[in-house]
Amino acid sequence: MLLTPNAMSRRMRFGLYTTTGLIALFLLLPIVFIVLLSFGSSQWLVFPPPGWTLKWYGQFFSNADWMDAAYASLKVAILTTIFAVALGLPTAFALVRGRFRGREMLYGLFTLPMIVPLVIIAVAVYALFLKLGYTGTMFSFVVSHVIVALPFTIISIINSLKLFDQSIEDAAVICGASRLQAIFKVTFPGIRPGMVAGGLFAFLVSWDEVVLSVMMASPTLQTLPVKMWTTLRQDLTPVIAVASTLLIGLSVLVMVIAAALRRRNEVSA
Amino acid sequence: MSAVIQDTAEQGKTLVSLRNLNKHYGDFAAVDNISLDIKDGEFLTFLGSSGSGKSTTLSMLAGFETPSSGEIQVNGQSLVNVPPHKRDIGMVFQRYSLFPHLSVRDNIGFPLDIRKQASAERERRVEAMLKLVQLEQFAHRRPSQLSGGQQQRVAIARALVYEPRILLMDEPLGALDKKLREDLQDELRQLHRRLGITIVYVTHDQEEAMRLSQRIAIFSHGKIVGLGTGYDLYQNPPNAFVASFLGNSNFLKLKAQGNAVAMFEGQPLSIRLTSSLHTDQDVLLMVRPEKALALSMKQAASEPLPAGWNEVAAKVTEVLFLGESLTCSVVTAGGTAMTVKALSAGGMPLSAGDQVKVRWAASDACVYTQWAESDLNKAAGAH
Repeated sequence: MLLTPNAMSRRMRFGLYTTTGLIALFLLLPIVFIVLLSFGSSQWLVFPPPGWTLKWYGQFFSNADWMDAAYASLKVAILTTIFAVALGLPTAFALVRGRFRGREMLYGLFTLPMIVPLVIIAVAVYALFLKLGYTGTMFSFVVSHVIVALPFTIISIINSLKLFDQSIEDAAVICGASRLQAIFKVTFPGIRPGMVAGGLFAFLVSWDEVVLSVMMASPTLQTLPVKMWTTLRQDLTPVIAVASTLLIGLSVLVMVIAAALRRRNEVSA
Repeated sequence: MSAVIQDTAEQGKTLVSLRNLNKHYGDFAAVDNISLDIKDGEFLTFLGSSGSGKSTTLSMLAGFETPSSGEIQVNGQSLVNVPPHKRDIGMVFQRYSLFPHLSVRDNIGFPLDIRKQASAERERRVEAMLKLVQLEQFAHRRPSQLSGGQQQRVAIARALVYEPRILLMDEPLGALDKKLREDLQDELRQLHRRLGITIVYVTHDQEEAMRLSQRIAIFSHGKIVGLGTGYDLYQNPPNAFVASFLGNSNFLKLKAQGNAVAMFEGQPLSIRLTSSLHTDQDVLLMVRPEKALALSMKQAASEPLPAGWNEVAAKVTEVLFLGESLTCSVVTAGGTAMTVKALSAGGMPLSAGDQVKVRWAASDACVYTQWAESDLNKAAGAH
């Protein structure tokens, strides 16, 4: 490679570091702003904040509406994760191991929600649940989130399943394990990185999903992003910055966990 | 250990029996009507090039492939409808296929855990296996922390720990380098001798097949075209394909003149007595390069042709020194190319362009009446 750091001139290296830094700053700036604002004393989200306070955090945690929304978000995200992995696993096995006509088409079908504009899916799901009378239920939230989370989970599991040497599973079978035992005892541990990554993806997709959630929400059941959205339309309180910070915080935490798991896997593998 | 080591199993009793076994994929016959008896305690190798059906046959024995038709029996009991995990067969795979998330000890213990073996007995057997494959000090390691040879030894221990009647090995040494492969071949041969287990081994390496097995089954296009000891298959190949596939061979095309004489380029040669040959029938003569001698004209004049030997005049095209041996390529007046091989210690004072007499004993040359032109160039290995 020509562009290894050692082969580059000092000036070129400096230029690259600077542009990389600027791009990172550009991407991080909104997040930094919102986190700082959540601690700012101004009621009007003035930047730079005239002083620092934890008042808005106090308001957030003492307000039942915000807490209900946060709790609902967490519940929806966890249920979405569980169902996306539970459905994604057998689907990935069928798509990787199956020998049937239309396998490629089926793969396309399962990944379609990644390509179709979210608002179209939202309108379709909304129309369906409206007809069935399910809008505003936990069920409708989880189902609609699973639809958009599933492609990420399936692709993630498919990737590790393709890398997994099936003769390892066959070895377990010839050692006396039934096919199902072999899959549980040998194949699942082998593809665990893909399962965990797929689950975390599903969690994140659900955690910050807003388009579908706005449609599914009811006055009594809404997720954190929906609560932020509706609050934003009425007034501009720094409590929204607090909610944003908590959303970002949990997302970052999930990503750190994912990275840590990946590293541990690389070390032990 | 005593439970593992048994007296050498009684030879000769049939353990596994394949009857008219077929495996078709659409129109393609991967395995074409194979019948074979595998003896109890025998080391049998399936030898063939890729796509010859040897691995498919092994897969059907293991139970990963279902025969299109035919029967597989062990001790007279049909295996066809027995799922692979209930066949009580051990198998070692080409890519080791160890469980990456388990230690060496737990890999070897896996078959016992599945069988819900009591823990004291499990420990005892795993220890015995670790000792057998000399990996005691690596017991706590993960497979990824072992060399290829060590990983394959773990795979062998895992396949033997539950004392299966049959051990299948699918090119288990293919991924290892030559020196290590030869070491493991020696270990494997000793292991077989000590345990008396029946081993069915698949390889495309004829030297490996010769080195390891008591009998070799040669596969081609889904059929077994040769079956016997390495010695018999090499010395008396049943057909031109086997002759060509195993080692090197000279093929001469003759016209029969009765049952023991045939014409080669206008010259009568004596051949092995072959019944029901009719005059002018095409026959193929096969002479191994090391069974033929190349004599200079002077040597030929001083050494009379022994009874039962043939002699053909030829011209040397090339002499190659190969370390322990020498090969001399010659071409006859009629344009037939032949190779003569001799130990270099014996010497072969010839050079390109010399006129020579090539001699061989009629009893050392095999006679075939049926062959395909494509059979004559199947050499699987080098010189």
